[in-house]
Amino acid sequence: MAVPIYAAAMYMSYRSAAQQLELGAERDADELASRLAAELDAVIRPIEGGIRTVAAQLEEIDPPREQYELRIRGILAAWPDVYGSTIAVETASTHSSAGPFAPYFFRRNGGVEFSDLALDSYAYQTLPWYRRAADGRQPVWSSPYFDRGGGEIWMVTYSVPFFRRPADAPRALAGVVTADLDLNWVKAAAENAVLGPIGMGWLLSPPGQESFVAPVGATAARVAAFDASITEQTFRDAGERMLGSGVTFELVRGVTAEPVYLAVRGLETLDWRLMLAIPRAELLAGARALLERQLLLGAVGLILLVAAISFVAAGISRPIHALAISVDGAREGDFDFRLPDTRRHDEVGVLTEALRRMRDSLQRHIELRAEDLAARARLEHELAIAASIQQSMLPHGAADAHPAGARVAAALLPAKQVGGDLYDYFERDAGLLFAIGDVSDKGIPAALFMASVSGLFKVLGSAGELPERLLARVNERLAESNDACMFATMGCGFLDFETGLVRYASAGHDQPLLLELGGSVEPLQAENGPALAVETLAVYPLTERQIAPGDTLLLFTDGVTEAAASDGSLFGLERLSALLRDAGQGAPDALVRKIVEAVTAHAADFHATDDLTVLAVTFAPRGVTPSRSTDGEQWLIEPELSAAGCRDARRWVRQILAARRVVDSRIADTELIAEESLTNLIRAASEAGGKSWVSLTLALTPLEIVLTLRDNGLAFDPLARAAPNLDLEIADRDVGGLGIHLVRALADECRYARVDDCNVLTIQLNRMAA
Amino acid sequence: MTLKITVDSSPTPTLKLVGRLDTDTAPQLDGELNKVLARKGIKRLVFDLSGLDYLSSAGIRCFVRARKSIEPGGGTVAILNPQPGVRKVLDIVKAIPAKGIFASVAELDEYLDAIQQQVRDQ
Repeated sequence: MAVPIYAAAMYMSYRSAAQQLELGAERDADELASRLAAELDAVIRPIEGGIRTVAAQLEEIDPPREQYELRIRGILAAWPDVYGSTIAVETASTHSSAGPFAPYFFRRNGGVEFSDLALDSYAYQTLPWYRRAADGRQPVWSSPYFDRGGGEIWMVTYSVPFFRRPADAPRALAGVVTADLDLNWVKAAAENAVLGPIGMGWLLSPPGQESFVAPVGATAARVAAFDASITEQTFRDAGERMLGSGVTFELVRGVTAEPVYLAVRGLETLDWRLMLAIPRAELLAGARALLERQLLLGAVGLILLVAAISFVAAGISRPIHALAISVDGAREGDFDFRLPDTRRHDEVGVLTEALRRMRDSLQRHIELRAEDLAARARLEHELAIAASIQQSMLPHGAADAHPAGARVAAALLPAKQVGGDLYDYFERDAGLLFAIGDVSDKGIPAALFMASVSGLFKVLGSAGELPERLLARVNERLAESNDACMFATMGCGFLDFETGLVRYASAGHDQPLLLELGGSVEPLQAENGPALAVETLAVYPLTERQIAPGDTLLLFTDGVTEAAASDGSLFGLERLSALLRDAGQGAPDALVRKIVEAVTAHAADFHATDDLTVLAVTFAPRGVTPSRSTDGEQWLIEPELSAAGCRDARRWVRQILAARRVVDSRIADTELIAEESLTNLIRAASEAGGKSWVSLTLALTPLEIVLTLRDNGLAFDPLARAAPNLDLEIADRDVGGLGIHLVRALADECRYARVDDCNVLTIQLNRMAA
Repeated sequence: MTLKITVDSSPTPTLKLVGRLDTDTAPQLDGELNKVLARKGIKRLVFDLSGLDYLSSAGIRCFVRARKSIEPGGGTVAILNPQPGVRKVLDIVKAIPAKGIFASVAELDEYLDAIQQQVRDQ
């Protein structure tokens, strides 16, 4: 990194030095140009002035021609650099009748000689030096030219026209005064000019047919030293191009083997050019030397720096390496690694201290985590105990511990270890009190609230309250001190074993399903009261429903119906109803098992959703055996051989038919048939004693009610008895035989058979009254 | 499911039966009938069945016994206002002649007046 920065700094320093040198060279060129111009002007300006003065005098005075020589000689005498001079007279002027006249005096061999230009062969008035001044009507310098056959020198001519104004005529050209200037002195002046320590220079006339060149300073020697093949001509084109585009200083490549700086200046005097060429290598030699010196110093400095850094770095990296080895021990889980004991106050010391702090905080964190895990394990253990306590609050009926008139089965699967669902049932007053509940929320708060609800239910339920009052009282207690704002839904019923009447009340709970013996399923249409613990004075409507032996009431919490499958579909009431319909006749525990299996199979992960509770209560009074028949339901009633037994049998017939919503008149008819046909049988069996028995089977099909009476008494066909004569006077009437007469009259069909030493009397009625 | 019997002690007693009259409750009615029939000179016995829900042959026998006890002495047994189910049973066994069954007290009074008139005419 340091090297590129250093190199960039070097380059900038070099560029800056080079720029300074370039500026200096430019300044030198300016200076040289102005010096040369001044030197040339010092010679030329006085001559210009003098010749113009002569011309002015000629206009003014118009001397005779004889005097012209005197004046010309005066010019030669006045300016030693004037090589020759003439006054050439214009002959085209109308007022002059004289012929051409142009005496020329020039220097030769230290004296002044005469030459007459007014020769026909010369025809001076057609020559450029004359015509340019005459036609331009103003003084003009000629381009430099080499005077061959004459002075054999480089010359330049200054021509000044003069005019006269004769009377009654316009001002007209009278002639031209000239002065030929020997350019040797220019060469000398250029050569004598002091050129800087480097470079080459030329003074050049404007580009023309023949150009005059004067090397400046010691040019020839320098050209030889630089590149002998170079001449002034080599740079002329580049110089003229620069002048054309207004550039005065430029690095030119390609003209010479090495690039050169070219400085070009135009002089006002005679429109001459000063051209300086400076080889770049020479101009920038100083800058390069500086650069080389700096590079050398830089390299040395760099080496020293690297050495110093290595020394310092070694002092840092050794302890850091030691640290790394120490910390590496932590990979094995040993956070008790020892750190080097350092008293350093530099970065290594800070790093070691930071690592020490990190190690200590890790150790603390691990200790805290271990404590946390222990605490969690304790909590898990406590929860497990809580769960088992909670389970113990629920009744655990063994199969043979069923109450006298019902078979009950239940399942409670909490979503967490402890849950907010509950169920309970116990026998009371020749009936079964049962309930199911669902506390809002889950987990420990719900479990505690559940315990409270469960306790109240047990205490108040045992006290003899019926469902609607029981719910009201439980609610009252809960609502009194419900600071946690929990609530619970509860469904509560009481099944009377004798009457088969269910009294049911609901505190915001789902309606239970009633599964009839034959397999039909319908919800128990129970009106709902508010959930428990919400309102202090809540009233719970009572629903009454007659059920038949073998019918099952299914209570459940929303963990069943709202168990969601992975695609979000809920288990739902429809699925539950269908499951009950298809379950076939079975014990409630089998039914509960089927439901739990179906729900858990449906739900991807039911434990994560909600508590799941099912309670099934099947009415199973003693002395009645329900079963399904091919086209309906049937109940085998085995009465005690007593008047009470007979009464009970009739009662079952009445209650079962009422549960099936048979019209009252048909119920009465059927009961009457049962009474008339059963009374004598039971009496006879009772009198016979021993192993006598009588049974009554009530079968229901969609269309018919069939009573079948069986007994193992002596063969006796009651239908064989003749019908009593009812038209006899009352005094002559036999009071017997009325019963069987009534049976025959009310039934649609009666049959008697003796089967397996038993009397079988079958009595059939249409289910709908005639 | 019981039978409740109320009897007025007039010379023309009415037995109001409420509930069920069957094998179980017939002895109860028999007991009351014994007491009523023990009175001398009973010419008319009315069974008010408007509150009777159920009637079986055991109950009918009670009515027949009452008729056998009173009618030979010129007395009359009337049934008042039986419910349809009960009426059906009565009709089947013809335990009481149709003319002895009345739908209302007014109908019964009219009938009794007619009988008295008949007696006076004789």
